[in-house]
Amino acid sequence: MAEMQIKPITMNFGPQHPAAHGVLRLVLEMDGEVIERADPHIGLLHRGTEKLIEHKTYLQALPYFDRLDYVSPMNQEHAWALAVEKAVGIEVPLRGQYIRVLYCEIGRILNHVMNLTTFAIDVGAMTPLLWGFEEREQLMGFYERACGARLHAAYFRPGGVHQDLPDGLLDEIGNWAERFPSFVSDMETLLTENRIFKQRTVDIGVITEEAALDLGMTGPCLRASGVAWDLRKSQPYDVYSEMDFDIPVGKTGDCYARYLVRIEEMRQSLRIIRQCIDNMPDGPVLAENNKVTPPKRGDMKNSMEALIHHFKLYTEGFHVPEGDSYTAVEAPKGEFGVYLVADGSNKPYRCKIRAPGFYFMAAVDYLSRGHMLADSVAIIGSLDVVFGEIDR
Amino acid sequence: MTEATETSETGIADVPSPQALMIDHLRNLLGDMLEDASVHQGQIVLRTGVTSIVATLTALRDDQHAAFNQMIDLTAVDYPERPDRFEMVYVLLSMRNNMRMRVMVSVGEGQAVPSITQVYSSANWPEREAWDMFGIFFAGHPDLRRLLTDYGFEGHPLRKDFPLTGHVEVRYDDTLRRVVNEPVSLVQEFRDFDFLSPWEGMQANIPGDEKASKDG
Amino acid sequence: MGVIDPRTAPPIGPGPEQDAILKAVGDEITNRGFVIASADKLFNWARSGSLWPMTFGLACCAVEMIHSASSRYDMDRYGMLFRPSPRQSDVMIVAGTLTNKMAPALRRVYDQMPEPRWVLSMGSCANGGGYYHYSYAVVRGCDRIVPVDVYVPGCPPTAEALIYGMLQLQKKIKRTATIARG
Repeated sequence: MAEMQIKPITMNFGPQHPAAHGVLRLVLEMDGEVIERADPHIGLLHRGTEKLIEHKTYLQALPYFDRLDYVSPMNQEHAWALAVEKAVGIEVPLRGQYIRVLYCEIGRILNHVMNLTTFAIDVGAMTPLLWGFEEREQLMGFYERACGARLHAAYFRPGGVHQDLPDGLLDEIGNWAERFPSFVSDMETLLTENRIFKQRTVDIGVITEEAALDLGMTGPCLRASGVAWDLRKSQPYDVYSEMDFDIPVGKTGDCYARYLVRIEEMRQSLRIIRQCIDNMPDGPVLAENNKVTPPKRGDMKNSMEALIHHFKLYTEGFHVPEGDSYTAVEAPKGEFGVYLVADGSNKPYRCKIRAPGFYFMAAVDYLSRGHMLADSVAIIGSLDVVFGEIDR
Repeated sequence: MTEATETSETGIADVPSPQALMIDHLRNLLGDMLEDASVHQGQIVLRTGVTSIVATLTALRDDQHAAFNQMIDLTAVDYPERPDRFEMVYVLLSMRNNMRMRVMVSVGEGQAVPSITQVYSSANWPEREAWDMFGIFFAGHPDLRRLLTDYGFEGHPLRKDFPLTGHVEVRYDDTLRRVVNEPVSLVQEFRDFDFLSPWEGMQANIPGDEKASKDG
Repeated sequence: MGVIDPRTAPPIGPGPEQDAILKAVGDEITNRGFVIASADKLFNWARSGSLWPMTFGLACCAVEMIHSASSRYDMDRYGMLFRPSPRQSDVMIVAGTLTNKMAPALRRVYDQMPEPRWVLSMGSCANGGGYYHYSYAVVRGCDRIVPVDVYVPGCPPTAEALIYGMLQLQKKIKRTATIARG
C-alpha cells in the first residue's frame, strides 16, 4: 500500500460563533482532531479608541473606558480616574474612595458571574447562566440606582464619583450580599464536582508559573498558576489598603483552577463589599476643586463663578500638566493599565490602554497546542476574554 | 500613590528610597547602556539606546537583584516634530521588589528596532500592534503582521498625521454584491474645537495688527 | 356575534368573549374540517409569533441582548428563541459596534439567512456609529451593509428597550402583505 501524505487541515472558527465570546476569528491548523497551531485574528472590534481619546477632553474620554471591557465597566473607569488624578494631583475624599471600592467589587462579581456562567455553557451546562443572570440583573439595578445607567455608568470621575448614593441603597446592597453566597454555593453544587465539567476542564490548557509570567498573564489566570500577585494587595489604590481580604491562588494552572480561583474571588469580593457598607464614612464624594470637578447644582443657581466653572469644565475641560505616567488597577480580568502622556493641553497626547485580555488572547496559541478542537472552546472560556478591551 | 514612594517624594534625603537604590544598582549593572535614569511618581524611568535594548532588558530580567520578571506593556508615542520621531516605551514589573519601571527608547522613522520577543514572549503581540499602529519595524520578530486594523488597511492610524476618520469607509454595493471600500465622505466633519481662550492663546499676530504698526 | 373587522377593532383579551371565538373556530374545524382565514394574515401571524433571532453579539449591546434572553426578561415568552446559526434564524440583531473589518463577515452571515429575514439594529453604534462615529475603523451605521427594519436607540439600549423593538418588528411584520397581488 502506498504511503499516504496527511496534510494538516486549516479550519476557520468564527467570527460569528457563539463560543467565541464576541468577535474572535481563530484560524486553526488541525492534524485530525488535534490543534497544531492556533492563529487568533483579532481586531474585528477595533474601534480606534486610543485615537479617539486623543481628540477628546479628559472628561469626554472617560466613557470610552466603560466600553472597553463592557462586562465590568466601572473598573476600567477607575484606572482612568486614578491616572488623571495622579497627573493633576488631586485627592479623593474618603467617602468617594469607599464608594469606588464598593462598586469595583460589584463590577468584579458582575464579571465573574458572566464569565463563569458562559464558560459553563461552553462546556455544556445551561442552568448556571439562568441563575447567574438574575444576580447580574440585581447588580445592574445597583448600577442604575447609583448613576442612572445599567451598563455604561460614567460614574467614576477624576476626583471621586459623580454623585452620592441614594438613600437606602447601601442597605439593599447589604441585603443582596446576604443572599448572594447561596447562589455561589448553588452554582458550585452544579459545577465543582460535576463529572462532565471536570472532564472538560481538568488538565486542559495548563500553563506553568514561568510561562504565565513570560506571556504577560495577570489576574485570575496568573493566580491560578500559583503566583500570589494581586495589585489590590501589593500596590493598593484608594482604600484597598484598609480592606481585609484574601487572595485565592490555584495550584494546577488549568481551566479548572481558573474556575476555582474566580469562585473564591467572588466570595472575597463579598467580604470587601460588606466592609465597605459597614465602614462607609459620611462626607463629600467628589473633591472640591472647581478646576477639575463640577460645582454643585445649588451653587450654580446663586454664584456666577460656579456657573463659569461649570461652563468651562464641560466645554474646554481642564488642563493636565505635561508628563507621562503609567497607572494600573486590578480589573476583574487582570492588570488594566493606562499609560497617559499629557502635553499640558486639555486633551491627552497619547493614551495607551493595557488590556489584560490582549495577553490572554496572545497565549491561546501556546495553550491550545496539542489539545482537541473542543478543548479550545474551554480554553477561551476559561481565559475570560472580552473583545472590547482586546481590540480597543 | 501606588508604591512605597513617600520617601522620594517628600524629599527626606537621609533614607534613600528603594527606587533610588535600584537606580544605583542599575548604573553598575548596565554601565554605558544606561543613558538616563530618574524616579517619576514612584516608578523608575530609564533611557537607553535602540541598539542596546535587547541587552538592557535581558540584564533587567536576569539580574538577581532587579528581577524584572514581567513585561507588562510595550507601546510607542509619536512626536512628529522631533528628529527621532517615535518614543518606544517598555513597561516592566518586578514582583520581587514590587517595583515598576519604564524603559524609554527614541526611534527614528524607518529605523528598525530589535525585537525583544526572545527576552519576553509577551512582547509578541504588542510589537505587532506597534507595527500596525505606528509602522515601527521590529527586526527579528517571528511573525510581524498587522494585528488590529482591517485586512488590506493602509497607513498607520496612531501616527499624528493620520486623520481621525481615516481615508476609507466601507459600504455594501448592490451591483457588485460585496462590501467595497470608498473614500470617506462625512455629512458633518468632526468638530475639533480650539479651546485656547483669547487670554491664553493669543500668541500670533491678530489679523489687522500690521496696519496698526504701520500707522504708529 | 357579528363580524369583527380586525383592522379597526381592538384586540380581544382573555375572557369569555375570546373563549367564545376560539370555541367557534374549534367547532368549525370539528364540524367541517376546515376554517376560512386570510392566508396573508395567517402567514404573518405565524412569522411574527416565532421570530428566531440569531446570536450575533458584536460589542457591549450583546450583554443587554443576553440579558433580554435570560431569566428576568425571558424573550422566549414571545416565541423568540436565540439560534446560533444564520440558517435557522429569521432576525439578525446587530448588537454593537460594526467595524470595517467585521462588515464583510456581517454581510456574509446576512446572506446566509433564509427569506423572509429582518434586521434589527441595536444601539447607537449600529444605528449610526454613535460614540465611535468619527473613528477610522467603524462603519457609520450598519444600514450601510444590510437593510435595517427596526432601529433601537440607546447606549446600550436596556433589555426592555430591545424587547420593545422586537415587538415593534412583530407589528411591522403583521402589516406587510406577504402574497403579491397582480
